[in-house]
Amino acid sequence: MLARPDVMVAVVLLGCVSYACRAGGYFLMRYVSLTPPVEGWLQAIPIAIVGAILGPIAANGGPPEWAGLAAAIGLTWLTGWDFVGIIGGIAAVALMRWLAV
Amino acid sequence: MTVAAVAASRSFASSFCAGAALIWVMTPGIVLVGIVFGVMASTVGLTLAEAAAFSGSVYAGGAQMASLQGWDTPVPLLFVCLTTAAVNSRYVLMGATLRSFLAHRPAPLVYGTLFFLVDATWILAMRDRDKGYDWAGYLLGGGLIMWFVWVAASIAGHAFGQLLGDPHAYGFDFMLAAFFATAGVTFWRHSRRVAPLVVALAVSIVVQKLIPGPWYILIGALAGSFMGIVGHARPA
Repeated sequence: MLARPDVMVAVVLLGCVSYACRAGGYFLMRYVSLTPPVEGWLQAIPIAIVGAILGPIAANGGPPEWAGLAAAIGLTWLTGWDFVGIIGGIAAVALMRWLAV
Repeated sequence: MTVAAVAASRSFASSFCAGAALIWVMTPGIVLVGIVFGVMASTVGLTLAEAAAFSGSVYAGGAQMASLQGWDTPVPLLFVCLTTAAVNSRYVLMGATLRSFLAHRPAPLVYGTLFFLVDATWILAMRDRDKGYDWAGYLLGGGLIMWFVWVAASIAGHAFGQLLGDPHAYGFDFMLAAFFATAGVTFWRHSRRVAPLVVALAVSIVVQKLIPGPWYILIGALAGSFMGIVGHARPA
């Protein structure tokens, strides 16, 4: 069995949902003029997305996740290199889980 | 950090190459997540071709894995569509921030490029926003590389992933968090704005406890970003 029609329909449908998210925000901004309040909103989006993704992870996590966040943030802060922070964060989580903290 | 990207001083081709070259720092993480998705896909009974098509079409690790959590036969279409929309709702906000980066480019190019928009390319574009790239080229170059790596890793995970054992033990599920934690440092250095961050953290934590599903990302990010209006709403 290579691919079932019903699964492929679902896959294509989900692709359309994903694309609607990717293109939708850009498209809608066509109808919004860049007044100072709108600029303030746009400027705050990046750090707000970071907060909204990390908040529940920190709140629901245990020592491994906290160590991972600390390592990712600390290493990026010190080295200025995203890659070191990402790998360091994952390594810290794996280490803490291995130690079963 | 200003919203408007600096006017392009580099050609499409050189921006495309820069985007493709800079994205490699992000690919090890995508390989790991792709392998985990491939393993999960084979666990719920998707064939290799279906898993590859899934990754090629949806191209969003978090949404794909969240959809697989409720996968069944027949596929619960409403559930998987809502889950995908909720996890990917952050892209609506990311797309909004890219308006000033792309609005002067031809629409077919822009809307083609947006298919390949991912966290990593958006994070790098925000970081490099004052470097004068042609952002269609930059985002397309990085996005295409990530797409091929993502689909290839999903196939590899489906084919060989079981040999790895438990991905949880390796911390692969922490990938998205590690991505955004490092991005947070970069964004913070651009603009030290406490209110959007704190409000997004607090609202997402509360919403996540009250509303099932991943809607906390959109609601928390919207609440936090609205704090940016407060700081700018002074009379001209």
